[in-house]
Amino acid sequence: MSQAVATRPLKELVTWPAEGYTRVPFNVFSDPEVYAWEQDLIFRGPAWSFLGLDCEISAAGDYITTMVGDTPVIVVRRADGGINALVNRCVHKGSIICFEPKGKRDRRHNFVCPYHNWIYDFDGNLTSIAFEKGIQGKGGMPGDFDKSRHKLTRLRVETIRGLVFGTFSEATAPLQEYLGPEMVEHIERTLYGKLRILGRYSQLMHNNWKLYVENSRDNYHPSLLHAFFTTFKLNRLSAEGGTRQDARNWHHITFTKRFTDQGDQAYDSGMIRAMKEDYGLQDPTLIDQWIEYPDNITNSIESIMPGFVLHQILNSLGTRQVITRGPEKCELVWTLLGFEEDSEEKTRIRVKHGNLVGPGGLVSMEDGEIGHFVQRGIKGDLDGMAIIEMGGRDVGSMPTRATETSVRGFWKAYREMMNV
Amino acid sequence: MKTPATTNKTLEVSASVREAIARLQMQYVHAIDNDEIERWPQFFTENCLYRIISRRDYDEGRPIGVWYCDSRAMLDDRVSSLRGVNVYEPHCYRHVIGPTEITGHKDGRWQTQTSYIIVRTMHDGEMILFSAGRYLDAIQIEGGTARFASRSVVTDSWRYDTLIVIPL
Repeated sequence: MSQAVATRPLKELVTWPAEGYTRVPFNVFSDPEVYAWEQDLIFRGPAWSFLGLDCEISAAGDYITTMVGDTPVIVVRRADGGINALVNRCVHKGSIICFEPKGKRDRRHNFVCPYHNWIYDFDGNLTSIAFEKGIQGKGGMPGDFDKSRHKLTRLRVETIRGLVFGTFSEATAPLQEYLGPEMVEHIERTLYGKLRILGRYSQLMHNNWKLYVENSRDNYHPSLLHAFFTTFKLNRLSAEGGTRQDARNWHHITFTKRFTDQGDQAYDSGMIRAMKEDYGLQDPTLIDQWIEYPDNITNSIESIMPGFVLHQILNSLGTRQVITRGPEKCELVWTLLGFEEDSEEKTRIRVKHGNLVGPGGLVSMEDGEIGHFVQRGIKGDLDGMAIIEMGGRDVGSMPTRATETSVRGFWKAYREMMNV
Repeated sequence: MKTPATTNKTLEVSASVREAIARLQMQYVHAIDNDEIERWPQFFTENCLYRIISRRDYDEGRPIGVWYCDSRAMLDDRVSSLRGVNVYEPHCYRHVIGPTEITGHKDGRWQTQTSYIIVRTMHDGEMILFSAGRYLDAIQIEGGTARFASRSVVTDSWRYDTLIVIPL
């Protein structure tokens, strides 16, 4: 299966600058043929894509619908407790089969295409065709039509700490190996409890998906573009922090540790009360927090190739799923998380820290717009290229955030997957 | 967390209460649409709740939306952030609100719901239907002045275009 059926070979579409991953040709952000190749080689290639949360499909027959790039996918809980992911496309005419965000199917119904009632089981097998034998001996499918030769495409599925990932390719390494030990450790550290969804929304961005993924790995911009943190003295590049990558430089974590040069007060309950005079907020309870992790990291962004982000902003935890919407648009699905074990007070803090993230996020709302600025800026100069040399010309972990090492890591991964 | 009960036919609402509520609803949208955002927090009580949440999350009983302010001071912080901190392209809203239905009276507060649509106009002239939904309010009236003790903006869509920096 392919989206790039009618496109020219990539070598004719993309000429990577001789400087390597310190340069990015602008046309990769708007060319519809490059976009089609990305669907094949990245989203349906050797990569694990985030599909949803284990807790959304807790009982057998529970399902959700999602997207991997442009491909619609059903994620369903099997009777034996395992999870299947199937391409949500009837083999008959190509209609999507499940058109709700979530639902439940018992054994008898399974998945029924709404168009002509072709029916599939949870493994994607075509089990029934309406009027297969015709009506009163007339019509029907040809006698030699073999249902067993037509199945829904099935993705490989693996989970880690309640996050469900899927891949189309047999060549993708097992999930833990794909992520590498640093990324696995950080996911396990961040999601230490039983997941509970506190909220979910989507943010529509008028830019190519890669401009957002790049942004999620860009350590250099937060204290410059996102003035909220600096204005209210919540985060500065000088605070202790850094950047970690996996061995292939495909994935990335940026983090900041709590700094102690600000006035705040720890209470016996473990809550840290922000002081008004030190922060300039009329209501500093907005940033009351508790130190949730023994490593004293208060902010971290983990970005997994190709389009998954796990964030910790103070006590706001959440996942972000990048969905492609054509060459010049993408969507970011945010799921804000807590744990079933959280006290009411902790949930309240997480809810308040929800103000810092998402399309209404005091800290990060600008990310919804900055990609659009780039998209418009490059429009007349598609033969131009971006410069990515902050922190040197190499990739790899660095003990600073004044670096674009992980943006280079993203382009390294991109070039490896696209072979450009 | 479902829709409040429809109007109780026996609910007695005086003309002065109706007027105070209608005035609040009108002044609220005009303050925002006329770029007098500094007036916006004054429409709330000091210990107010203001939040923006999608219809889906509201129906599911999930607590987090895209905004959650639980004091008037936090609304003031939103105003100073949009005036002086956040980076965004200049744009304005035009609210159109439907008639307010008074659905109940509890603990000295009037429960109401009001439909709205918001058209967003960017500085370059681009206009889109930015949000549609309803306001679920608890309104307190003191000395003839109505204020929101709580306002939940329940947006019909869970998808938000670009960003929400100006209150809905």
